[in-house]
Amino acid sequence: MATDRRASWLKGVLDLLVLASLTEGENYGYEIAKMLAGSGLGQIRGGTLYPVLNRLEEAGLVSAEFRVTERGPGRRYYRLTEQGRQTLAEQGRLWLAFDESVRTVLASGGLK
Amino acid sequence: MSGYFDELSTLLRAGGVPAEQVEATVSDLAAYVAETGADPEEEFGPAGDFAGQLLAARRPEADAADATEWRWTADVFAERQMLARLGDQGWEVDRVDHLGRFVSHRDPERPQRWEYRRELVPPGGAGALVARLAPDGWEPCGTWICFEYFKRPKAASVGPAAQLESPPAAPGRNVFFSRRFYLVLAVLLLALIVPGIILGSSDGDAADFYAGMTVGVCVAVAVLTLMWLWTARRRP
Repeated sequence: MATDRRASWLKGVLDLLVLASLTEGENYGYEIAKMLAGSGLGQIRGGTLYPVLNRLEEAGLVSAEFRVTERGPGRRYYRLTEQGRQTLAEQGRLWLAFDESVRTVLASGGLK
Repeated sequence: MSGYFDELSTLLRAGGVPAEQVEATVSDLAAYVAETGADPEEEFGPAGDFAGQLLAARRPEADAADATEWRWTADVFAERQMLARLGDQGWEVDRVDHLGRFVSHRDPERPQRWEYRRELVPPGGAGALVARLAPDGWEPCGTWICFEYFKRPKAASVGPAAQLESPPAAPGRNVFFSRRFYLVLAVLLLALIVPGIILGSSDGDAADFYAGMTVGVCVAVAVLTLMWLWTARRRP
């Protein structure tokens, strides 16, 4: 139940988290997932992450470039676009406001 | 009670919701719109859609995944080709079950292409292999005897082109054996039969017959195993 709930929360905010993870520079799928997992969000599987990256790319919020590596078949690197940066700022503010409202209601219910 | 709530009650009952629960839900909803003064259809959407949402919320989440689950198997010679083909049709392998079947599913809303690889793993060596392949986006998706299977969304290399607009229907069968597999079976069968015929036509006794048959089977199994391991190692 707790896992289901976290998955449900993540579904609503994963695109913003991915955009935020790219603000420091370009990155590829595995490293993005690792960074998010390292932030305490749990393991994000490729089947969850890549559809989000695809949607962001199609919406023009990230750009992607496939580069061949010395070993292995190569990786697709994602970079935040200017439009992505603006969307992150706008939608991120909305999320923080939402988060604040949730905290207020939970606090009124005795949770700290 | 309005026609909206009558229709909703009928749909919920038809969906298997107990009568008393239907009554409680609908009364609650009716009280809500009475208080807010809103039109029920504007507030909750069309009765059919809303009933669908309420019914879906009652079902355990696992149902959705189970509905698209598909188990299939292929022999050791055909399975990589089948994994590639079915992965291209949007089938994601979740695990390999105890019968060696690939337990897979396809996202009904946003199907995407998958790619797979099979690795021969020495005993105890799976951890290092998983760690080596992870940076390239490969996730383990099943183990069968000495093989470890890995999956990766094709989007990792081709991006949005990996999405499937209209995936084909699931194959009509779930067993995929290659000609090579049948050939191996035939060789094994011959290995059983030929020594018997040879020894049976000579003056040997039953012990010779069984000894010859055992040797024949062992030689055939050893040769086939070596061939199989060699080809498995040779392929990327």
